[in-house]
Amino acid sequence: MSETMLEFRERARTWLASNVPAGEAPLDGTAARQFALDWQRRQAEGGWAGLSWPKDVGGCGLSILEQIIWYEEYARARAPRSLDPMFVAINHAGPTLIACGTPEQKAFHLPRILNGKSLWCQGFSEPNAGSDLAGIRMRGRIDGDDLIVDGQKIWSSYAEIADWQELLVRTDPNANISAALTWIICPMNVEGITVRPIMTMAGAQKYCEIFYDSVRIPVSNIVGGLNNGWKTAMSTLAFERGTASLSLLISLTIRIDEMLQDCPDDRPQMKERLARLCARAAAVRATAYRVALDSEEGVPDSAGSIVRLGFSELVQSTAAAALDLYGIDGPEVVGTHGLGHEYLDSFSETIAGGTAEIQRNIIGERILGLPKGPR
Amino acid sequence: MNFELSEDQNSVLTALDSIMSKFDASGAEPHPYVYSRELDEALRESGFFSIAGEEGFSPLDGAMVIERVSRAPQVVESAASILIAPFLPFDPGTAPIAMDASSGREPIRFLPIARFLVTLHNDHVSVAAVDPAKVAYAESLLAYPYGRRGSSGIDEVATFGDVDLVRRRWQTGIAAEAAGCMAAALELVLDHVKTRFAFGRPLGSFQAIQHRLAMAAETAEAVKWLAYKAAWSDSSADAALAAGFAQSRTAQFTYDLHQFCGAMGLTLEFPLHLWTYRLRALAGELGGASAQARRAATSIWGEAA
Repeated sequence: MSETMLEFRERARTWLASNVPAGEAPLDGTAARQFALDWQRRQAEGGWAGLSWPKDVGGCGLSILEQIIWYEEYARARAPRSLDPMFVAINHAGPTLIACGTPEQKAFHLPRILNGKSLWCQGFSEPNAGSDLAGIRMRGRIDGDDLIVDGQKIWSSYAEIADWQELLVRTDPNANISAALTWIICPMNVEGITVRPIMTMAGAQKYCEIFYDSVRIPVSNIVGGLNNGWKTAMSTLAFERGTASLSLLISLTIRIDEMLQDCPDDRPQMKERLARLCARAAAVRATAYRVALDSEEGVPDSAGSIVRLGFSELVQSTAAAALDLYGIDGPEVVGTHGLGHEYLDSFSETIAGGTAEIQRNIIGERILGLPKGPR
Repeated sequence: MNFELSEDQNSVLTALDSIMSKFDASGAEPHPYVYSRELDEALRESGFFSIAGEEGFSPLDGAMVIERVSRAPQVVESAASILIAPFLPFDPGTAPIAMDASSGREPIRFLPIARFLVTLHNDHVSVAAVDPAKVAYAESLLAYPYGRRGSSGIDEVATFGDVDLVRRRWQTGIAAEAAGCMAAALELVLDHVKTRFAFGRPLGSFQAIQHRLAMAAETAEAVKWLAYKAAWSDSSADAALAAGFAQSRTAQFTYDLHQFCGAMGLTLEFPLHLWTYRLRALAGELGGASAQARRAATSIWGEAA
């Protein structure tokens, strides 16, 4: 590693050492919002916000290698999990606006995201359209200078504490899906929006159901053009499957190392199981770095699905092993921040952001070039 | 080898079905747990919990009752009452029983509703009367009532030496209870994938889904028969194998089932979590799958194993 990169690592490590907030991040509600915004603001003040974003929009414009170093140090410093209420803003909405937004949209939203002044949620899934985005039914119709939206979205994380939403609606009911959807910035505080948090089995109100009753959104909020939302959404999803989970992955490898250290010598089978997890983590990490470095120019490609798949299944195996290692201890592991919460929350890993089955289809069809299966 | 139910077994299960049908259909409130005193009383009053000790019946019939009862969304303590209580030298009557094999550190399943606590020590078994008012309730997401021994409120009333009996019946109970939870969870998910559509087809028509659910069905079926075999043979090796197999399959089984219920399956609004919680709790009992595997090895091949 070059001298410059070593210096960069040292600088990141030093800053993190004195700035990582103490204590656990709240899981939900306004406390979670405030914690996430404060942490984002602090990173911005320290010059560490929007690492991958170009400098001309206020980001750090770091190379992928520098981002990887940052994520390594971030995880090592036990900084707040990046899959927090800011995740959509930083990893979906921001990059999508950078790629497809108008100058006005960029000038308004990007600084607010970077400086911890606004929080975003996603509005893609519907009760009958999850993995199958083509099943989106929620309608949007142009009325003067507004798009009026009616319908329902669901599984939107942190919607009850979000300011803005990346909303995907069907604006041409007759067109093929690639020309039927519109991606629009929906303000969450307008009349006609009702948000209902949903309690998960892991004991947190992370997901929300959102109802829209004749909600008027200015057409100037459309990103990427009317009826061009499919393409805009696909670039957002590619980000989710690519670099976005790097810091989580690195945290996980550190976690597995710690579990190995905690494993008593008289439990050789557990040691072996953890060593296998360690090897899997090393493999996923190597692939993630390769995919990240390959994506230096532009949007990550389908190979991000290999990382996403490997990572999500590794999270589940690790959570299951952690419970077996540290002992069920009954409910002691099931506090809101305990191992039990972590274990039950891990069930969502292979479902959220495109199920493991969808990732396998992408790998099979787009990477291996296999014929498409019946859909 | 005869897998057919006897006439008596069929009668018992038919009668049990008529009680359970009311509870299968009723919703279960998930917080903080779903212990159903109503179901508990209905089953105890009808004599189902004393079946394993009745003339003409055996622990196998008891395991069948436990399996059926465990399919309900509501929780009742059945395994210890059916498989252990009738064989204790001290008659605990028809009260819920909690089981403990620990140093007293861990929260104990069923302790807040139990009247007796059976504790497995290395060389003996102790039975203690529990004063529920003095048990420290332990908050849990695992759908069972958990409690910790307080400094008072648990008074030893009897001891006896057959450690192996208590352990193997406990293991058999874990397997039978897991079998019921697995059967109910699988049935729920099968209904879901038949009626939920994606990409214009029922989810269950996708091979990727069929294959994983077929594996889940294999697990559920295997756990049931291993539990029945352990109850029938009443052998330490069979009991350890049955519990260990159920415990070792729990993580994969529950991940597989949740996978096909999407985000809805992760919420408290979809009942799958009720059985996921319980299966996870059962998977940690008596030291978990590895401990059961070691006990099975020792039972089958001796201490050298």
